[in-house]
Parts: sequence; structure tokens; C-alpha cells
Amino acid sequence: MRRDSIQRRLIATVVLSQAILTLGLMVTGVVVTYSRLLATLDAGMQAHAMSVAVLVRYTEDATGNVYFDNSLLPESVDPNHPDQFKIWADRTGAVARSEDWPDGLQLQPSPNQHWNFTWAGVPYHALQMSHVPILDREEGKAFRPQTLTIVYASPTIHMRQQVKAAAAFIALVSLLLLGVTAWLALWGIRRGLSPLQALAQQAAQVSTHSWQLQPPKEAEEIEELRPLTESMTQMLARLERSFVQQREFLGNAAHELKTPVAVLKSTLQSLLQRSRSSEEYRTGLQASLQDLDRLEQLLQWMLRLARAEQWAHDARRRELDVIDINSTCEEAVERIRSLAQSRNTAIHLATDGPVPFRADPEDLQLAWMNLLENAVRYSPEGASVEVAVTHDDQSAKVIFQDHGTGIAATDLPHIFERFYRGDPSRTRATGGSGLGLAITKALVEAYGGNITAESVPGKGTRMTVEFPALKQ
Amino acid sequence: MRVLMVEDEPRLAENVARSLRENAGYAVDTASDGQEGLFLAETNAYDVMLLDLMLPKLDGMELLRRIRQSGQHTPVLVLTARDDKESVVALLNAGADDYLTKPFDLGELLARTKALIRRGKGQPSPVVVIGDLELNTVNRTVQRGGRAITLTAMEYRVLEYLAHRPRAVVSKTELLEHLYDYNWEKFSNVIEVYISGLRRKLNEGSSRQLIRTLRGQGYMLQD
Repeated sequence: MRRDSIQRRLIATVVLSQAILTLGLMVTGVVVTYSRLLATLDAGMQAHAMSVAVLVRYTEDATGNVYFDNSLLPESVDPNHPDQFKIWADRTGAVARSEDWPDGLQLQPSPNQHWNFTWAGVPYHALQMSHVPILDREEGKAFRPQTLTIVYASPTIHMRQQVKAAAAFIALVSLLLLGVTAWLALWGIRRGLSPLQALAQQAAQVSTHSWQLQPPKEAEEIEELRPLTESMTQMLARLERSFVQQREFLGNAAHELKTPVAVLKSTLQSLLQRSRSSEEYRTGLQASLQDLDRLEQLLQWMLRLARAEQWAHDARRRELDVIDINSTCEEAVERIRSLAQSRNTAIHLATDGPVPFRADPEDLQLAWMNLLENAVRYSPEGASVEVAVTHDDQSAKVIFQDHGTGIAATDLPHIFERFYRGDPSRTRATGGSGLGLAITKALVEAYGGNITAESVPGKGTRMTVEFPALKQ
Repeated sequence: MRVLMVEDEPRLAENVARSLRENAGYAVDTASDGQEGLFLAETNAYDVMLLDLMLPKLDGMELLRRIRQSGQHTPVLVLTARDDKESVVALLNAGADDYLTKPFDLGELLARTKALIRRGKGQPSPVVVIGDLELNTVNRTVQRGGRAITLTAMEYRVLEYLAHRPRAVVSKTELLEHLYDYNWEKFSNVIEVYISGLRRKLNEGSSRQLIRTLRGQGYMLQD
């Protein structure tokens, strides 16, 4: 798997943007320098052209012809690449051209004011000036004055060199700056990412013995890290809760299993402590079998709870059919009937029409049966238990009301905890495992419902299960 | 010896009681909840108590505290399902003398019970020696001057109790209380029968009387 690095990505971004900036600077620098130099060159050439133009004079006669006074021609600045020029007069035609005007170079008046050309490998910039008056104008002469057209060209080698030098300088400085900013970016990013490392180190300290994540101060101060640290803390809290629950369950389960195992062991040991009659062995073995039955039942309840809690996690992922809550209640009442009859207890089921819900009917039946069993067991002989199913647009409710012994206020908050028994003797006498309500709660919550208990000691208990209404 | 067993699990209480009766010849009273246990402990004289911790009505720990507060010296062996350090420390600090974790071995329970009874009566050795009389509480045998003496179960129990309180006057009521469970009163006349039987068997081939009768006070075992 290719590993991406935030650091590398950020640095690449910084360097890339810096490089684009550098390039832009260079181009701008070159263009600006070039146009400035060109403007300067143009001005110089104009001046030069004028200084050449003043050397054109009228002849002494009255023809109005002109000639070029070569003697006063200024020296070229660069003897190796001299300026070139050519002058035309209106009537006389070509009047003059630069001294070393090479053969073959045709400087033609062009409609353009400025243009570039290359001749003999030398780049030139050319300038044309038209209608330039001849300065040597003598008063009283009776001819029509002529005007001049001047084409003046200067080699641009120097200018190009200057532009290149400027570009090189800008590039050099930019590269230096690029290096500095890249280094700064690296430093800044490392520094910026260091809280993440500190956080990772802290997270590595979390174990099943120490769930506390202590986000380092530097990480807490970073706004971008807050969602991460918060969700980590929450996740750890959830994990701890479920871990502690599991461990408690394991501890409770071991504790609960110890007593029936102790009974079984003592029965068998006392049977073996001396030789006994076959009748005594038979009685002892039957007692052992009963002890085993109890153990088995307890194990079954534990497995049921484990399954219910597992389903609480998977329920939403399963594909479920729509069922009628009423029919699950009817089924549960039917299944509990023999117990109810043995205690002479009547169960009344009241409904207000079908209540559609998406669930596994077996789950709901088990939940109802646990509640009904409790209601029947803790009711006096001949009492009644009422079950009511109601629903509206928002929710569906199943209410179990008994008229039994009730639950003490101190026990009420704990009755859904696993293995919680308000009064051990009572539960033992009635055969409860301390898991029924925990299983019911897990099943109800698996389908997004909740269960609440209200009780008046001596009067009875009301269990209310509420499910969200089925979404169409 | 008389034992109180407080345990809410009836099958377990029954098995332990049966084992103690059959193998040690102890009288065993059982209580199925804390309140009953406290009542029995306060109204009877026991040589050892076996106490479950998870009890209805009155928690085993609380029962233990109340017994100790009332100044009872009876050794207490706690039967507990929890064996973590904290709970063991807590129960020893509440006044327990020993503990066994469930599920326990009946043989171990028996041995510990005997050891607690010995310690409770200041008798460190399982073999009690008084003069030339030797009483082995482990395999329940009696010798005098190297001669094995065969006793009935009841005779042994009387002798064992007297041997654990040598040179002390033991009243008939005390004997009755410690040898029978709660309905001891109906046995009040049989003690004399056992004492005379014991005397006869112990004195065979010996002139020195081991068991003295102090009129109106009781009996005393001496060398």
C-alpha cells in the first residue's frame, strides 16, 4: 500500500505554489525590464536620429537640393556593432546612409514606427521618423523646403544581455527565497504536526487497565484536532463501558456458577465419603441430576442473554418482516398459561387493533414471556395480570401490570442489571436466575425500544415497553 | 461438638451437615437466612460456625460483625464465592477466622472445621494427650497406655469434648448443648449413661479414674 504523507503533500503544495510565483516574477521581471530598456533605447535612437538628421543641409544654390555633411557624423557607441541609418529627402531621394552600411542591407521605410530585424546575426531595433524638417533653412530662399524620412536601427545585443542578466538575477534570488520558504514550510509543518504525534503517543498509552486518554495540552489547543480528540475520548468511553460490562458479566457469571457447582460437588463428595446403600446412591444421584439441571438452566439463561445482547448490535442489519406485536403477546400469554394456571392467575390481554412492527417474533415473545413470568411469580394466588397494547403515530406501547408484591424503591433502579436480585431467598424460591429482565431489556433495546418499571410495594408493578412506530 | 451452618442454599447446607455428622460426629444446626443464623448464634453455644456470605434478610458479613460485637469467641469459617483479595481481607477483618471458596472440598471443610475447633479451645495438636490417655481427632481413635479402646460414636463425642477442655469442670448442660443440635433437652438423662460407659472402658486394666464427677457441678477430665 502506498503511504501518503501529509507533510510531503503540504511541502509539495508550498514548493509548487512558490515555483509558480517565481516563474511569474521572472516573466514579469523580464517583460518589464525589456519594455523599459526598449523605451530607453527608443528615446536614445530618436535623439541619435535627430542628431544625424541635422547633418542634412541645403546646397548653396537655389535648387533646394540637399546633401549630407559627413564630417560631423558622431562616432558609434559600440564600434563592433554600429548603429545603422538611412535618410531620404522628399525630392532628392536617398540622401545618406551610415558609413559601414553593408551592401545588401535594405532598410526600407516601413509603415511601422518600430520594428525588429536581424541582419548578419545581429538583432536590430529599427525606428522610422517621417516628415522631419531640415533644420538648415535659410531665409529668403525661394524653393520649397524638403522634409526627411529617417530610418534608424540600433543593435539590441546589449539590451538583450541586460534583460538576460536581470532574469538571471531574479531567478537566483527567487531560488534562494524558494529554498528558504521550503525550509520554513518544513519546519512549520513539522511543528504543526507535532501535537498529532503527541496525541498518538498518548493514545498508545491507553490499555484495558487505563482507559483514560489524556489529550496533550498542545493537541487540545489545536482547533483542527479537537474533533479527533473528542471522538477518541468518546470512543474510549464507549469501549470502556462495554469492556467493563463484559468483565463484570464474566465475574458475575463465574460467581453465579460457583454455588450450583458447590452444591453438586458436595452432593457427590458426601455420597462418596462412606459406602452407602443402593437406595442412598440413587437418592444422591437424583439430587445430583437436579443440581445439574439448575446449572444447565443458568447456563441457558446466560447464553440467551449473550445472544440477546449480540442481537442488540446486529438487529438493524438483519432483514426482518413486518409482524403484529399483538400476535407476539398472544403467543407469549399462551406459552405462560400453564404456569399461570398452576398459580390460579388470570392474564388479560387488551389491544386496540393490529400494531405492525419490524422484528423477529421469537425475540419479542421471549421478552414478553420473561415479563409475564415475573408478573405471575410475584403475584399472590388468584391475582390477575393485565397486558395492554396501545399505539399511535409515534410509538407502540406494551404494558404489563401485576398486583403482586411490588419492588422496593431501592431495588427498582437495579432490576434490569444482570444477576441483580432484590431478595435472594425470594428469587431462589421462585427459581429466577436474575437474568430474565436483563434479557428482556437487551431484546427491547435491540429494536430501538426502551423499558421502564414503576412499582408500589404491596400493590404491584407496571412494566412499560415502548417501541418507535413502524416507518412506512 | 456442635456446629452452626448458616447457608441459604438448602441442598448445600444439607450436604455439609450430613458430612459433618457422619464423618466427625458433630451436631449440626442449620439456618437458611441471616436473621435465623443470628438468633441461633445468640441463643446456643457453638464450637464453630460455618457462614455463607450471600444471605437473605441479614448479610453474612453483617451477621459476623454482630456476633463479634456481642463478644462471642466462637470460631467462624466463612464460605464464600468470591476469592479476590479485597473481599478475603474484608471478611477476615470483620472477624472471620478462616474462609473457603465455593465450590469447596468436603474433606477440606472438615479438616478446617476441626482445626478451628482445636484452636478455639486452645488445643493445637489434633492428637490430645492427657496423662496416658491419647485421643486422635483425625481418625477418631482412643488409646490408653498404648491400648486401643473401642468407643461408641456417642461415647467418643463425650470424651472428645471433655478432652478439649482438660482439667475444667464441664456441666451436664454444657455437654448436652455441645453434643446435640437444638432439641438437646430431651436427651438430658442419657449423659450419665455415656459417662459410666466411658469410665468402664477407659478404666479397664487401670486403677486411676480419668473422669471425675463433681456433684452438682459436672464432670472433669484429668490425669
